[in-house]
Amino acid sequence: MSGWDKHKVEKVLACGLSRRNFLKGLALGGAAALAPCLMLRAREAGANQSFEQGYQVFRNACPRNCYDTCSIKSYVKDGVVRFVEGAPESTFTNGGLCVKGNSYVRYAYSPDRIKYPMLQEGRGTGKWRRISWDEAMDRIAKKVLELKKQDGSLLGLALTKYSGNFGITNYGVEGLMSSLGYTTRLVGTPCWPAGIDAQNYDLGNMWCNDPEDMDKSRYIIVWGGNPAWCSVHSMKYIYAAQDAGAKVVVIDPVFTQTAAKADEYLQVAAGGDGALALGMCRHVLDKEMYDKQWVAANSVGFEEFADYLRKNVTVEWAAKISGVPAGRIAAIAEEFAQARPATIWIGYGMQRHTNGGAMVRSIDALVAMTGNVGKIGGGARYGHLQTWGFNYNAMIRKPPEGSKGFVGASGPKGEFDFAGGAKAPTYTDRPLNINKTAQEILDAKDPAIRMLWVSCKNVLSQDFDRMKLLEAFKKLEMVVVVDSFFNQTVEQADIVLPVTSLFEEWTVNVSYWHYWLSLNEQAVKPLFESKSNIEIAAALSARMNALEPGSCTYPTEIDTKEWMEKEFNKKIYDLFGIQSWEELRKGPVKAKMPQAAWSDLKFATPSKKYEFKSELCAKNGNNALPIFVEGRKPYDKLRVLTPHSKFSLHSQFQNLDWMMDFNPEPVVYINPAAASERSIKDGDLVKVFNKTGEVRLKAKLTANVPADTLLVYEAWFRGLGFNCQNLVDDTSSDMGKFKTGAPGVAIHDQFADIARA
Amino acid sequence: MKKQLAFFVDAKRCIGCFTCAMACKNQYQTEQGVAWRQVYPLKEDIYPHHERAFYSLACNHCEKPVCLEACPVEAYYKREKDGVVVHEQEKCIGCGNCIRSCPYGAPHYNPVEKRAEKCSLCWQRLDAGLKPACVQSCPVNALQLIDLATFGETNAVQYPPGYPKMEKLNPSTRFRQAELPKIQRREDI
Repeated sequence: MSGWDKHKVEKVLACGLSRRNFLKGLALGGAAALAPCLMLRAREAGANQSFEQGYQVFRNACPRNCYDTCSIKSYVKDGVVRFVEGAPESTFTNGGLCVKGNSYVRYAYSPDRIKYPMLQEGRGTGKWRRISWDEAMDRIAKKVLELKKQDGSLLGLALTKYSGNFGITNYGVEGLMSSLGYTTRLVGTPCWPAGIDAQNYDLGNMWCNDPEDMDKSRYIIVWGGNPAWCSVHSMKYIYAAQDAGAKVVVIDPVFTQTAAKADEYLQVAAGGDGALALGMCRHVLDKEMYDKQWVAANSVGFEEFADYLRKNVTVEWAAKISGVPAGRIAAIAEEFAQARPATIWIGYGMQRHTNGGAMVRSIDALVAMTGNVGKIGGGARYGHLQTWGFNYNAMIRKPPEGSKGFVGASGPKGEFDFAGGAKAPTYTDRPLNINKTAQEILDAKDPAIRMLWVSCKNVLSQDFDRMKLLEAFKKLEMVVVVDSFFNQTVEQADIVLPVTSLFEEWTVNVSYWHYWLSLNEQAVKPLFESKSNIEIAAALSARMNALEPGSCTYPTEIDTKEWMEKEFNKKIYDLFGIQSWEELRKGPVKAKMPQAAWSDLKFATPSKKYEFKSELCAKNGNNALPIFVEGRKPYDKLRVLTPHSKFSLHSQFQNLDWMMDFNPEPVVYINPAAASERSIKDGDLVKVFNKTGEVRLKAKLTANVPADTLLVYEAWFRGLGFNCQNLVDDTSSDMGKFKTGAPGVAIHDQFADIARA
Repeated sequence: MKKQLAFFVDAKRCIGCFTCAMACKNQYQTEQGVAWRQVYPLKEDIYPHHERAFYSLACNHCEKPVCLEACPVEAYYKREKDGVVVHEQEKCIGCGNCIRSCPYGAPHYNPVEKRAEKCSLCWQRLDAGLKPACVQSCPVNALQLIDLATFGETNAVQYPPGYPKMEKLNPSTRFRQAELPKIQRREDI
C-alpha cells in the first residue's frame, strides 16, 4: 500500500488516535488540512485544490446487523483513517451514514480497543496479561486436542456466533470449527426467526420489495418497527410517499420516533397485533373490499380463512384485545384496502412474542387479501436474502479424516446457512438452541460442553437469562472470545483475541433489506496485533497441525484479499451486472431485480400460490390458518420492552466515548401514572426487577410508553454493570425452527416491577 | 441582500438521530466531550412528547457575531463572500470570552488545546464545492444549507419556541417547526 509508513502510524496510534495526533498527522500530510487550528489561510489561498486531495479513498461497508448496511468511503492519509462518508453511488446510503457509522474512526482508533491476545487469570477478575499469538494458539490448540482425546470427538467444543460482523468472509468462523471436526453449534437467531417462518409458510420465502420503491406506496403501515432509529436511510422513501400524498400509519406499543413522523399513530397492546390484523381482515371481508380476483388467481385457502374470520373474529373483539378502538380498526382497514398500492413494513419487534409468528401471518394475510403482494409500492415487507448467493468459501470446510460427530435427525442450520445441498455426512455437528444458550450448556451431555468459542457475538450482553448464563459459564473449562473491546463477555473469558475493524480486512457485504452490494477494502493495516477472523482461523490451524498433523483442514496462510475474491461467482456478477469485483472499487452496485418481490406471482410454497392455509405450518406444529394465538400471560406487574437504541447496534457503539457525548447513561422510561403510584419522580434512581434479575438505573417519565409498560433500550455501556438481559428470560416464540434451526425468543413478553432504589 | 450561508433546521423532518452531530465529530475528530453540533430535544411545553422533536444546533453564523466582538485577539472573522463566521484557533488565547458571550453556546472549550473552537460551517468543504459534513450526512434532508439572500421557504421561522431571541445578533439559522400525528391511545388501560 502506497503511503504506508509503519513508524509514523505507530506513533500516531501510540495511545489511540488523539486529536492532537490527528492534527499532527494532518500537518505532516500537508496541503489539504481541514482541522481548524492549522493552515486555514493556506487553505484559503489554495481554494482551487480538491477537498479530497492528499487522501487515499477506500471502499468500506458497515458490517453490523442493520437494515441499512451502508456503503462507506474512507479517507486515509499516512496510513490512518481520517474520516468516513456515506458512498454517494448508493442511492440508498445517499452520501450519509448514521450516528453509529459516523463514529467508526473512533471505533477503530479507540483507546479501549483490545490490542493483543490476552489471558485472564481467573474469569471476571480483570487480571489480564498480554500473551503472544503463539502462546494463545498453543493454549487453545492443546485444549482442542485434549477434548478430542478425552471425549473421542470435538462435540465438547461449542461455537456461538451471530451478527456482530456480517462481512461474508467472517463465515470463516464456522469454517474454522468445521475444519477442526464436528463441533457443537449454538444455532438459530434471537433476531427475526418467527417472522421468517411465517413468511415462508405464507409466501414460500422471506423476500421484501426494494425499500426504494416505498415512495410509490399510497399507504404505508409501519407495524412494530422503528425505522427512524433502526433504518434511518429508509425514512426518505417514507417521507417521499407522504409528500406525494400517501398516508403513513405507525402501529406500535410505544410512541416511537417513527410514530411521531406518521400521519396517524395507533397504540397497540403488545402482543395484540395479531388480533388487530385479524379484525382488519374481518372488516375488509365484510365490506367486500378484498381483491377477489387476486385471491382467486394467486392463493389457496382463502375461503377457509374467511370462514375462520366470520366465525371467530369481530372488529369489537379485536378492539378489546388490541386496545385500538373499533372505529379506528374499521377506518384504517378501509383506507388500507382502498389505497393501491398499500404496504406494511413488518418490524422485527412485533414477532418477538410467544405468538409472534402467528401475528406476522395475520398481517401477511391482510396484505395478500387486499391484492398488494407482488406490486411495486406494495408488499408485506420483512427482509430478504436474495442477494446473499456467495460461495461461502471461508465457511464450507471439510472435517479432518476420521472425525467423529453427532448422529441425529438434523445438523445445525440457520437463516444464513448457505451450505445446503452439500452431500450429507454420516456425522453432523450438534445443534443447540442459541436462544437458550444458558440452559443448553447446562444440560448438554455426552459430551458436556467444555470449551466455548465466541466470535461476532457478545453473549453476556445479548443472550437471555443472564444469571443462568453466568452459571452455565462456570461449567466451561475454556472460553475464547474474539472481539475488539473488553465487553461483558470478554470479562468472562480466559483468552481474548483482538479482531480487526472493518477498515483492516478485505470482505464483501450485502443487506437483508436493500438490494446493494458493497466491497470492503483493507484501508489500513491491522492495528496493533489484531487479526481478522479468517486469519485467526489460519493461525490456529497452523498450531493444530504443528501439534498433530492433519488435525485441522483450514489453510495455514490466508490472504484476506484473495479470500474476499473467492466469495464471488458468476451468479453474483450476473445478479449485480458486473464483470469483476474490481468494479466495486468505483462504488457499490445494485442487484438487477424487479423492485417488487413476487412480481411474477410464482410463490415458493408447496402449492406455488400464496397460502392463507399452510399445511406445512400445521405439520410443523402451528396452525394451518393465520388464526389468533393468545399472547403470554403476564408474570409480573408491568411489561418490559427492551428494543434497539438509536445509539447502538445491540452491544456495539454505545461503549465509545464519542457516543457517551450524546447518550451518557441508560434509563428506564415509565409512564407518569405508573411512576406516581410508586412515588417515582423523573431522574430518580430506580431498580427494575423480576424473577430473572434486576437492573438499577435512572427513571425518565414519559407518556410515550403506556401505563402498563416499562421501556429499557438494550446496550452495553462501558464501565457500567447495566444489562437489560437481567430481565429477559429464554421463553421461546412460536416459530423459527423451520427455517433457522431454533425457535425465536419472546424478548418483548417480559414483565417486571419497578421501585425507587 | 448579501450572500449569507446558513443552516435550515427542519424539525418537521428531523428524526433526532444525531447523525449530524456525529458526522461533525467524524469530520473534525473533536475531543471527547466537545461537540460543535448538538441535537436538543424540545421541552414538553413546546412539543408535547418527550424526546420526539428536536433542534439540531451549531453556530448560527450571526449577522453581528458577539463572539467576534468579544474576542480580544481577533481570532474571529466573518467571511465577506458568504457570511461564514470563522474562528482561527491558532490565534486563540483560550480566554473564554466568546464562550461566555454566545447566548447559543456555539463556541466550546477544547481542554486539550486549551482554546476555543466551534462550527466552521465546513468552509473548507464549501470552498471545495461540497456540503457541510452534517448536511451531507443527514438521512432525511432535515438539515440543509441555505443562502438567506435567496431562501424562499415561507413556513420558516427565525425564532421558534425554545430558541433564544437575540435580535441584535440576528442569527442566520432558520427553522420549520415539528408537527404532530393524529394519536390514538389504547383504550384497554
